[in-house]
Amino acid sequence: MRMTGMQDDDLDRLLAEAAKHPPVPSAALMERVLADGLALQPAAPGLRPAVAPSRPGLLSRLAAVFGGPPALAGLGTAAVFGLALGYLSPSTLDYLTGATAEAAEFFPEADFLTTEG
Amino acid sequence: MAFDASGDTSDEALMVLYANGDRYAALALTQRITPRVLAYASRLLGGDRAEAEDVAQETMLRLWKVAPNWRQGETKVTTWAYRVATNLCIDRQRARGRKRQLALEDAPEIADGAPGAEGQLIDRGRLVALEAALAELPDRQRQAVVLRHLEGMTNPEIAAIMEIGVEAVEILTARGKRALSAILAGRKEALGYEDDGHAG
Repeated sequence: MRMTGMQDDDLDRLLAEAAKHPPVPSAALMERVLADGLALQPAAPGLRPAVAPSRPGLLSRLAAVFGGPPALAGLGTAAVFGLALGYLSPSTLDYLTGATAEAAEFFPEADFLTTEG
Repeated sequence: MAFDASGDTSDEALMVLYANGDRYAALALTQRITPRVLAYASRLLGGDRAEAEDVAQETMLRLWKVAPNWRQGETKVTTWAYRVATNLCIDRQRARGRKRQLALEDAPEIADGAPGAEGQLIDRGRLVALEAALAELPDRQRQAVVLRHLEGMTNPEIAAIMEIGVEAVEILTARGKRALSAILAGRKEALGYEDDGHAG
């Protein structure tokens, strides 16, 4: 097809010539674009500042030795209860437990061991 | 891992790497996309270098911002960039309301290996005349001709950029070339082409 102005070949050559000589970006533009890119870039997962784990205190470390706070609480309760059992008189214990003062004889045949004569 | 402008890593993969904090990906995308957007914007804006640089930087700014939400497989990065640049150029052309008159100093530099001084002058004259003729085309014809013949895009790629059908691209390109030919007809002597009597 012949064009009304210049021939197809001439126009195609001119376009091809222009395509081979594109405007080249300046170094300043490239630097500005890269600076924008780096400024807006999300941080890499490995580079994000990690939250520093807080150092556990002495009590926490002791609790960990015994199995953690729940175990330590159970241990404390048992210790307090043991002390109470040791210091309270049997009558007080009977009052607390609702038992009678009469104790059961578990070894009635062993009385001879405590009798004199 | 380092990438460069001509590496095997796709633009789309570089977008993901960029969003994951890879600084080399930022460099590679800058090197690959910026020159293409600048050249395209410069040609759409009649060779206005300062405005073309603004368009290129703004296009890349939007690219950095969209990267974390980039959806793989939906659009090519270059298609997206050309589309954004097209819209920015149209906005600027509307804002200034007139086509800029080309000056000889705005012509692109000729790369090494070009002919001597006289030849260079003729080449520059041709490129200036072509840019001036492109600036006289209607916007859509100019976009289609620049994308097809200067940016080397395929018709389906141009259709995706301009968001029209392939057939419409073919029509715009053909009309644009005919109009260019008519505009350049009166400047054949200045372009260094001898009148062979076929014109008219």
